[in-house]
Amino acid sequence: MSLNRFESRRSFLQQNALGVGSVALAWLLREENLLATPPAVPRQLQTFDMKPKQTHREGRARAMISLFMHGGPSHVDLFDPKQELSKRSGEDYPGEITYSFVDRASKKLFGSPWKFQPQGACGTEVSELLPHFSKIVDEVCLIRSMHTDINGHEPSIWSMNTGRPQPGRPALGSWITYALGSESRDLPAYVVLTDPGGHPVDGARNWSNGWMPPLFQGTVARSREPRILNLDPPPHLRGDLQRQNLAFLEKLNRAHLDRHPGESDLEARIASYELAARMQLAAKEALDLSGESEATKRLYGLDDPVTQEYGARCLIARRLVERGVRFVQLFVNGQIWDNHENIRKGLADCCRKTDKPSAGLVTDLKARGLLDTTLVHWGGEIGRLPVTENHGPAEKAGRDHNGQGFSTWLAGGGIQGGRVYGATDDFGHRAAVDPVSPADYHATLLHLFGFEHSELAFHYNGQQQHLTDGKPCRVIREILA
Amino acid sequence: MPHFVGSNSSTPVRRAWKVAIALVVATMISARSVASTTAPGSGHPQPLSFEQHVRPILKAHCFDCHGEGETLKGGLDLRLKRWIERGGDSGTALIPGKPDASLLFKRVQSGEMPKRDRKPTPQEIETLKRWIEGGAGTARPEPETLGQGMQITEEERAHWAFQPLRRPDIPKLQKSGIRNPIDAFLARDQQARGLRFSAEASPPTLIRRAFIGLWGLIPTPSDLEAYSLNESADPFLTLLDRLMESPRYGERWARHWLDIAGYADSDGYTNDDAPRPYAYKYRDYVIRALNEDKPFHRFITEQLAGDELALAQHKDLEKSSQDPATRDLLIATGFLRMAADGTATGGIDQDIARNHVIADTLKIVSTSLLGLSVGCAQCHDHRYDPIPQADYYRLRAIFEPAYDWKRWRTPSQRLLSLYTPADRAKAAAVDEEAGKLVKEKEAKQAEFIDAALKAHLEKMDPALREPLWNAFKTPPDKRNPEQKKLLADHPSANINAGVLYQYNPKAADELKGMDAKIGEVRSRKPQEDFISILSEPAEAAPVTHRFHRGDPKQPKEAIAPGTLTVLSRGEETPGLPLPSEQPPTSRRRLAFATWATSPRNPLLARVIVNRVWMHHFGRGLVGTPADFGLQGERPSHPELLDWLASAFVAPRNDDPRHLGLGWSLKRLNRLIMSSAAYRQSSARDPGMEGLDPENRFYWRKSLQRLDAEAIRDSLLAVSGVLSGKMFGPPVPVREDAVGQIVVGVDKKQGDNKMPVEVAMGEEEFRRSIYVEVRRSRPLAFLHAFDAPVMEVNCERRTSSTVAPQALMLMNSDFSMQQSQKLADRLKKDAGPLREAQIDRAWKLAFLRAPTRDEFRSAQDFIERQIASLLAGNTSDSSSPKPAGSAEEQAMRSLCQNLFSSNEFLYQD
Repeated sequence: MSLNRFESRRSFLQQNALGVGSVALAWLLREENLLATPPAVPRQLQTFDMKPKQTHREGRARAMISLFMHGGPSHVDLFDPKQELSKRSGEDYPGEITYSFVDRASKKLFGSPWKFQPQGACGTEVSELLPHFSKIVDEVCLIRSMHTDINGHEPSIWSMNTGRPQPGRPALGSWITYALGSESRDLPAYVVLTDPGGHPVDGARNWSNGWMPPLFQGTVARSREPRILNLDPPPHLRGDLQRQNLAFLEKLNRAHLDRHPGESDLEARIASYELAARMQLAAKEALDLSGESEATKRLYGLDDPVTQEYGARCLIARRLVERGVRFVQLFVNGQIWDNHENIRKGLADCCRKTDKPSAGLVTDLKARGLLDTTLVHWGGEIGRLPVTENHGPAEKAGRDHNGQGFSTWLAGGGIQGGRVYGATDDFGHRAAVDPVSPADYHATLLHLFGFEHSELAFHYNGQQQHLTDGKPCRVIREILA
Repeated sequence: MPHFVGSNSSTPVRRAWKVAIALVVATMISARSVASTTAPGSGHPQPLSFEQHVRPILKAHCFDCHGEGETLKGGLDLRLKRWIERGGDSGTALIPGKPDASLLFKRVQSGEMPKRDRKPTPQEIETLKRWIEGGAGTARPEPETLGQGMQITEEERAHWAFQPLRRPDIPKLQKSGIRNPIDAFLARDQQARGLRFSAEASPPTLIRRAFIGLWGLIPTPSDLEAYSLNESADPFLTLLDRLMESPRYGERWARHWLDIAGYADSDGYTNDDAPRPYAYKYRDYVIRALNEDKPFHRFITEQLAGDELALAQHKDLEKSSQDPATRDLLIATGFLRMAADGTATGGIDQDIARNHVIADTLKIVSTSLLGLSVGCAQCHDHRYDPIPQADYYRLRAIFEPAYDWKRWRTPSQRLLSLYTPADRAKAAAVDEEAGKLVKEKEAKQAEFIDAALKAHLEKMDPALREPLWNAFKTPPDKRNPEQKKLLADHPSANINAGVLYQYNPKAADELKGMDAKIGEVRSRKPQEDFISILSEPAEAAPVTHRFHRGDPKQPKEAIAPGTLTVLSRGEETPGLPLPSEQPPTSRRRLAFATWATSPRNPLLARVIVNRVWMHHFGRGLVGTPADFGLQGERPSHPELLDWLASAFVAPRNDDPRHLGLGWSLKRLNRLIMSSAAYRQSSARDPGMEGLDPENRFYWRKSLQRLDAEAIRDSLLAVSGVLSGKMFGPPVPVREDAVGQIVVGVDKKQGDNKMPVEVAMGEEEFRRSIYVEVRRSRPLAFLHAFDAPVMEVNCERRTSSTVAPQALMLMNSDFSMQQSQKLADRLKKDAGPLREAQIDRAWKLAFLRAPTRDEFRSAQDFIERQIASLLAGNTSDSSSPKPAGSAEEQAMRSLCQNLFSSNEFLYQD
């Protein structure tokens, strides 16, 4: 009975907040003489619910999984082979370099210690560090010309994840869920899967709703069981007893809200109980991997202690998307890709942890027919310099930050497979051909979801705010399927 | 049945506008920062000037290479308009009126400049363009020349927060409903907008508000009763005084201060996050100081320089620590020991870790006392605020005698023992006596082992006796391979203290007796206690250097201690005159404290009253309480802020026209809480809602969710278990079986490291301020409701509304436990009758009797629960049944719903 009640209330809200339409609402407001608002208030009401939203056009993608590799994966060792760099390894870089750590800087070119081979039907050259990625290149568009122009981690993360190199704006996941709403009534629309080794740099701000309502904040599923804390009541209180509890609580809260009309925070808290109740069933089921076949588990590397943890999260990401979650983002611990020193070991370790699960995810999505509508993103906020960092012994060599040019890959959701887009200069320092800025990247993502980046706005501080933040940018149509 | 069009007789239209309002309000609430562009009376567009509009953009993006850096790139200095016109190596950079011919604009617009980092926003580029189009004007004739490095402009000096504090006149208004000058300031701004204060809130609402505000606890029904019996002219004022006389007041307000001080019971910085076992003494100092209403300037001075004050009285720290009055001064410096400090951990870069402690300490000091984050100036001149890099190092020089990164002291080396000379002598005597006994025991033990071995060898092959004996007596690392093999082949010859009892039980018992004796002697050693303080070693103060790009490996010129240049008026350098007292220290922190609390620093008083205002209204008069700089928000009521700040620091004077609060926080609270603005109802009014939906002008009291500690503490209070115990070592936290951080003794056993429940008595239910703040282990319940995790400090809490909070109240063990406690209490208070229990539950949780409707639905709820329980109608009937009758279980659930309800979680 109580669950029906939630449903009908919800449908009422949908009808009345949107179905009746803002024209009717505006009329009602005028009737009540309530439209005497300051000019800063938008005429068109913004509605904050998770109902699926109308897109500007039909979109190709319905969900996104972002495998965020913060720290700065070394593109010249993974995705972007540079003959010139290998040939002139040990010589001085012939131009000006943008360093982060000047005190340890050097101009000595550092050719990749790893070999590259053409892979797949498309023949994209990939490093031997990524044997599994090598098998999915035909599904992937590899962008070799990403750039944030900033070397620092946080500002570049903010650029990639919020559209501006300063903190405080809503994360990409918030924008996507704000734009599209949720297809799941029972799961949070925006789920963050954190690493057991700890939060990424800048912590919870990576999934902050910024100035959007908390509805659009990422919900963290923990890295260990129980992945969502306090999800269940003790066994003896489940079932009818809990339904009665929630119905009674709702009654108390509704009566209280009647005495405090218009307090949206109270309304939001009522909604948070409803969501919590539905999550109990849905999240449990979504996070439970026991029903997956052994073959699937192997595909993600769940049978190997090195890949087991990251693989489980990739598999969970697929299960969430399957169940209508709009945006899933995976983080790694700390800054594992930040290989300032001893890159030979550090980078290889990162690849061992992530390569098989990431490729497994794409393969699995494809096999289930989900890849067409699910956009998979793999990449960090920066890349690494072609020159060596630390003048010490060669086995200790590393690479400094490089926001001037790096690689990222996308798959599915309307992205052309087997594609390479853009290029860095001869040494891999700067994006040289068809550079892709964070704003270009965001405009393209929104396009895939059916939105014009310049029209998708959130009203804040008397201004129309956009994910692309008024920056010059374009949809990279060349990479669309 | 859809709820909104239910049986209620109101029309659908009426209902719909409620929904609509909810949506409008949601929009407004999302606007976290108040628009800063609409300051009263500034509606006219004015021509753009270099100083006001363009220079800040160039400063943020260009000055690093073109004017304020160590070298001038391309020979181009952008700090004066004249010089931009003169241009650099590429010729003139500015042709007024012609943006497209001006290199300055062209290079920026094309994205060619600035070369790295952040690019200017489109709005900034547009401003550049418009300025050039409009003729590239300046506000005044430009100076003949500029000095090296960063220059502070007139515009920057004119920033509101840097102005000396002046007391504005109180507006004279012919208006009713004004209770004190606060209202006069607010009402004047309201009047201009057709707004007015709402009616006073009902007594129960007001009482609850005051209890939460001053105690962080909801009142009891008898508190309400006492209020209604109070016959003083204004019982509310009597209540405020009563609440502030209680020790609960200090516990509440200390929490606010500990947020900005960054209080934690652990060292942080690394994953070890080692405990800080004596930090709690600083927490207790803050509680005591606030309960005593220590004048706030004194409170701050003690925290900055308590050691120097103590040393002015006693000649050394040891003596100071023996005298309780000066000991408190030493403990107060714990404020400067709050930053994370990983310097005791191995395997880290010490230089980085040490400088990190200093940087975090400066952040805590500057955000709490100056309302500025000076941290940006660590590496280069501040890009937005007029804080040159040298200012940062001037401030740093104040703290370097105590935080000398070259001669560092780890956290444990900064502990001061509280042993008296007598304690020390006694401890030495005990150690000596125990040492003697240990030696005796060891000798005895060796004797027993030898004897046992001899006896044992007698039973063995004679040929083995001597080799085994020799092997045994050879120290293990000197044994040759044969000896090792011999002993390994005859394990029974390996007699040690641990197995001696198997050979000679009597000897083992005798040794045990000796151990007991040693233990008994040692137990007589006086317990050694410590305080964690900041102090300066006797050596001369180190020289502070500016670090190029903030890198300690690149020290540049020496910098003398000082304050912010922008606040120094007409002086060459913002030096810091040292006080004439003679403690044997650098006296720099004492000098800084004197300056910080003097009228020469206009920021402190504003920052403090703004924080206090924020705690009462949920939002400061300045919305960015730790950023009063150019990037921060402008005050919504600048005159009110300045009047409050002036009154706060003025000597005590009760005449309302010359009100002086003498730095008393209690009097400031009383002033704010006795205003009509504070006492008004939270009810919305559609008319005023339309004019000011965000309630920026205080026409009602905004609804606020209780903060984390107030929720937990009130829960404990209502369920009747809250402990009143004050002070002392923190209540420990631990990870429970599922990895959630809960209150408890961290004890695990078995291979699977299952947590063991350890009875804690009343400790379990002490106020949240006494619960351990382990940076890496935030208490789950508090954390869920936005209690800060102390990375550095917390300037302002958020108030989120998310599903994990709902789950916490619905399903956590803590929530279940407290509901059970409340159910137990109801039975005790109201007897066995269900009706009486329901009535009592409502009064305890909501301070009112249930309505008839509520009463009926509570009854109905209990009946349904009982029916389901009796039918065994749960999803998992095999699970263990909880204790208690069905009726008792149902009552427990009722209690939990009351705790989880909005009426409990919010304050009107």
